[in-house]
Amino acid sequence: MSDTTPPPDKDGSVDPTLAGRAPKAKSKTGPIIAVVVAVVVVAAAAFGIYKAVGGKKDDANITSGLSASATSDTATTTDTVTTTETTAAADEATDAETVEAAGPVSGTDDAATVVIGLSLEPTNLDVRNAADAALTQAFLDNVYEGLVSRGADGNPVPKLASEWTISDDALTYTFTIPDGRAFSNGDALTADDVAWSLNDVIDNGYVGADTLAKVASVEAADANTLVITLSEPYPDLLWALGGRGGLVLDQDATNDLSSSAIGSGPFLFQEWKQGDSITLVRNDNYWGTPAGVQSVVLRYITDSNAQLNAFNAGDVDVLAPISNDLVSQIAVDGAETFVAEASDKFVLAFNNAAEPLNQLEVRQAIRYAIDHPAVVTARGGVDRELGGPIAPTDPGYEDLTSLYPHDVDKAKELLAAAGYADGLELTLTIPSFYGNVLPDVLTSQLAEAGITLTVESVEFAAWLEDVYTNHDYQLSIVDHAEARDFGNWANPDYYFGYDNAEVQSLYAQAIVAASAEEEAELLAQAARIVSEEAAADWLVNFRQSIAVWPGISGFPQSQINSYLPLAGLAVAAQ
Amino acid sequence: MTQYVLRRVALFVLGLVLTSALVFALLRVLPGDAAQVMGGVKATPERLDQIRAAYGLDRSLPAQYGSWLAGLLHGDLGQSLITGVPIKDEITQKFALTLPLAGLSLLFSLLIGVPLGIASAVYYDTKLGGFASAVAQGLAAIPIVWAGLLLIILLGKGAGLLELLPSQGFPRTGWSEPGRAFASLILPALAVGIVEGAVILRFVRSALLEARGQDHVRTAAALGLTRRQALIRRGLPGAGPAILSVVALQAASLIVGVVVVEALFALPGMGSMLVTDVGNRDLIKVQSTVLVLVGLVLLIGLLVDIASRLIDPRQRRAGE
Repeated sequence: MSDTTPPPDKDGSVDPTLAGRAPKAKSKTGPIIAVVVAVVVVAAAAFGIYKAVGGKKDDANITSGLSASATSDTATTTDTVTTTETTAAADEATDAETVEAAGPVSGTDDAATVVIGLSLEPTNLDVRNAADAALTQAFLDNVYEGLVSRGADGNPVPKLASEWTISDDALTYTFTIPDGRAFSNGDALTADDVAWSLNDVIDNGYVGADTLAKVASVEAADANTLVITLSEPYPDLLWALGGRGGLVLDQDATNDLSSSAIGSGPFLFQEWKQGDSITLVRNDNYWGTPAGVQSVVLRYITDSNAQLNAFNAGDVDVLAPISNDLVSQIAVDGAETFVAEASDKFVLAFNNAAEPLNQLEVRQAIRYAIDHPAVVTARGGVDRELGGPIAPTDPGYEDLTSLYPHDVDKAKELLAAAGYADGLELTLTIPSFYGNVLPDVLTSQLAEAGITLTVESVEFAAWLEDVYTNHDYQLSIVDHAEARDFGNWANPDYYFGYDNAEVQSLYAQAIVAASAEEEAELLAQAARIVSEEAAADWLVNFRQSIAVWPGISGFPQSQINSYLPLAGLAVAAQ
Repeated sequence: MTQYVLRRVALFVLGLVLTSALVFALLRVLPGDAAQVMGGVKATPERLDQIRAAYGLDRSLPAQYGSWLAGLLHGDLGQSLITGVPIKDEITQKFALTLPLAGLSLLFSLLIGVPLGIASAVYYDTKLGGFASAVAQGLAAIPIVWAGLLLIILLGKGAGLLELLPSQGFPRTGWSEPGRAFASLILPALAVGIVEGAVILRFVRSALLEARGQDHVRTAAALGLTRRQALIRRGLPGAGPAILSVVALQAASLIVGVVVVEALFALPGMGSMLVTDVGNRDLIKVQSTVLVLVGLVLLIGLLVDIASRLIDPRQRRAGE
């Protein structure tokens, strides 16, 4: 996620002359000075660290969040309104998520351990209370499962439920949960457990409860049948059930969720060494197709150079992601790299609700002033240009990059028209872990158009308070990682402060649309308006490079920040 | 002597109490809170209040400080806000990496600083002495992170010219594989040791050069020792307490160096933990960890002060 981790710029070494004198003083104040110096040095250094290091975890919050509760859905909703649909058989489910799992790998080593290098560590293992994407990444479909699973393309596939039917009014979903599903502690997994889990999330407002807001009731008709009733149509239900809110836990288990995990997935949680790694081992009693490797170690390394060194030294088998500018330094023969598609949108947010960015001309001027190809190049050349609020992975995407081509003269004209012929000063607030590349590029590009940018690099926690909560900002950059988060543009209370009745109406129609095509069409219309009105600038569609050692197959290839199903991993036998 | 020790211990305790208040206050000035980090950006205000209430974050600051301090008096550092694990356990676990790393760094810095410092003072008037002093001046000015990067480029596995030593990570099995564990600490300790050692080198050198001009050294030379012999046999013992004090003061900077270098070498020790916890606003854990680190520095200062009393008769007499 963070392509650069800012190196602490202070080594904390004391001024030798000062330090040298204190102990030599023979007066009684000597020890006092020594104590004071020691306290000050450590306190100052600790403070320096806060300033210098943004706090790596914070990334996770961005990937997990920054989306309004309502999202929109795609193909799965096709038939939900008019017909009753039964989906594919359960057996397809376990292998469907991974791209390479299709062809059986001849001669795999099922006793292997795969070490996966990741950037962001969960803060806590409590899937009910800790919101971070890193936890979802580690546990979703590995340790915990839901009724359905988000497939590689985002469309639900059967998981714990082998099939489901949707009533004609799209208000009642009936899921079939076959016998034989079981938790890792041996308890059978029945519709009762599912009903209890979902109700528990909804009643307690646990993580993911917002995605189940339209659920009126969840009831187990019998051990194999679960009925979910909605208060109004909600085509995103299956999507939601494949995520955090839909995870099924054992109602009879009394384990501490923050330090242990009992799920129904293909892996068992074995150990979390904080600051280092999470180890998962194969669940040999898994109800479905067993995992392809004996164990998986998720190793967390913050520093991107250390990540690369670990990969080159063979200490990690997969690096996900590898910093884009370091791909050329891979020194492992036969290592494969690929670029994972992602819904990450690096948004240059404008505070649409406040001077001077409430003026259309000012916003447009900024968009014209930005040279997007140069931005992509500066970031390592792997990202994709993005001209609007919807990423290519999501329904409603169209290429809008031609709306605002790089045109400095036009930017100056627009600024003059807005009354800023003599220049304009703006402040950009950016969480510090994004590094300096984007602020530096923008500062120089905007300067050409006469906009003076002051960059305020803040800790993520401070960003949350000032920008996200209090809307006290002018420009801000954050990676909006969540898929299908267009609803933010239809929510005037969101920190974008963008309020357009037409966009809101189009979005409202889209989320209850009859078909995926119609929904995508409506979203595309809305997205075009948002982009034309320059509600923000979309700097890049962030894509991550993944590096894999030879002999390893089945690593997921999209949306890896929040969904990393590992059951399909395989290691070729030596 | 006893009186001195008692006074010095009292000062140590006072230092700790002051630190605890300072650290507590500084952390409260920071924006952001743990509840928001835990709950995520989508959490409703009610949910945040729930989390705050569950972790006692809704109490007044003096009450929070009071209960933390009361816990400390019982040797209870509290529980992590985010994971609920007792902080003492986590610190103990991280110390298994950080203390050996600090010790090894100190060892390297002494091995580099003391012999070279003596040599550079003894041969101060030769080209070699001047060269050593110039190099030390330069090394003392490098940031530890940079020294670490250079070492990785030269010696690190997977990155360096000579792929000799691990440049990142610590064995998951910890010290049950002593060889691998030790190897993974060498480069980071060397990075800290070189920079800190250069500082020590300069102190040793200047303390000795100062001793050169002192009466007893000159007298010893007049009585037939060569100047170099006089400096080492008569000058060095006199400069001992000053050097010891400097090493103690460097301990503070050394611990900070270790904290910084852990991130660079991806070592899961106290430093990495501290950085993560600050990001998560796990304030209780941060303040307890910082207090333990400061306590360690103060303790070293205490021990060194007492030790220098013991080896320096002048100080003993002055105190009685």
